Amino acid sequence: MITAEQKPIEEIRAMMAPYKRVLALGCASCVAECAAGGEKETAMLASVLRMADKMNGEERMIKEMTLERQCVNEFVLQLDRVIEEYDAILSLACGAGVQAVAEMYDDMPVIPALNTEFIGETKERGLWVENCLGCGDCMLFDFGGICPLARCSKHLLNGPCGGSVDGKCEVNPDIPCAWQLIIDRLAKFDALERLEKIYPPKDWSKKQGGGPRKIVREDQQK
Amino acid sequence: MKESPKARVALFYCRNVPGSSEEERQALEKEYGTHVRLFPLACSGRLEPVHLLRALEEFADAAYVITCPEGACRYFEGNRRAVKRVERTKAVIAGIGLESERIGIIIGNKEKTKTLSEHLHELMETASRLGVSPVFNRRGEDRG
Repeated sequence: MITAEQKPIEEIRAMMAPYKRVLALGCASCVAECAAGGEKETAMLASVLRMADKMNGEERMIKEMTLERQCVNEFVLQLDRVIEEYDAILSLACGAGVQAVAEMYDDMPVIPALNTEFIGETKERGLWVENCLGCGDCMLFDFGGICPLARCSKHLLNGPCGGSVDGKCEVNPDIPCAWQLIIDRLAKFDALERLEKIYPPKDWSKKQGGGPRKIVREDQQK
Repeated sequence: MKESPKARVALFYCRNVPGSSEEERQALEKEYGTHVRLFPLACSGRLEPVHLLRALEEFADAAYVITCPEGACRYFEGNRRAVKRVERTKAVIAGIGLESERIGIIIGNKEKTKTLSEHLHELMETASRLGVSPVFNRRGEDRG
């Protein structure tokens, strides 16, 4: 899932300042899971913004609505029936959702309410941890299901660095040493020989450097 | 007859709070009129921050929740969730310059139990000290 956090309220209000009819638009997917932009959070933010307006004597209409996903046009099209009521959309989606809505309604200002952070997992309730960089060339099989690029502070492909203490990273002692985890995991599978291979430098061209990436599946298209 | 209080409060409470039967709730609402809205909950853990925020937005000078005593929640951790949610909501309203005391939590006491009526009376005093919320005009005329 993509994780995000709400921007500071002052920053949001500053971006909203020119607009008098605003739709706070939530997303029920990733940002709902990380409690940043789902239906509940959208209702909270809209309420707080309305109170702030009242306290500052500002006249503004703020309503809220939540889409299943803001990154899929079929869901975004639901806004057709209400879009005329507003002069701006405050999107609580990740960056992908904000841009999808902005592209669909290209004469409508779309304000991002969140800062998109990382691809990660819900480790436990209230804790989300990054575990994937979206490199475009997954090597998780080689490393027992533990990504050394996302989870090793030094992004080592040929670890360990030897600096860990009691299984904790020497760069950030708050996190486990990814290479300790990799070794423990491969040992469990009796597959430590995978680490005898020398991995060349990562080919980052599959992630970046060529502009926005895309995937085309003709069998999925009309 | 009680002097009509000026503050308006929203009080959410676990249905296990003593003196919170439906009859008692209706009697309190009749006594306090539009100055009080009472919201019984199956458990204080059912409370969401948006409930408190909407109360403050629509009509309340203060919005509080009463929970069961620590260790006494029939759903084990509902009261603990309520504590965390109230703390978060306090931080949220502080972010727009609204006094965080306008939101609060009353944790039940096993030794010195109080009825809903007693809690409400104390809350009305707190809300009166805070005064009309800055969300509303000075006379509170623009409330819902």
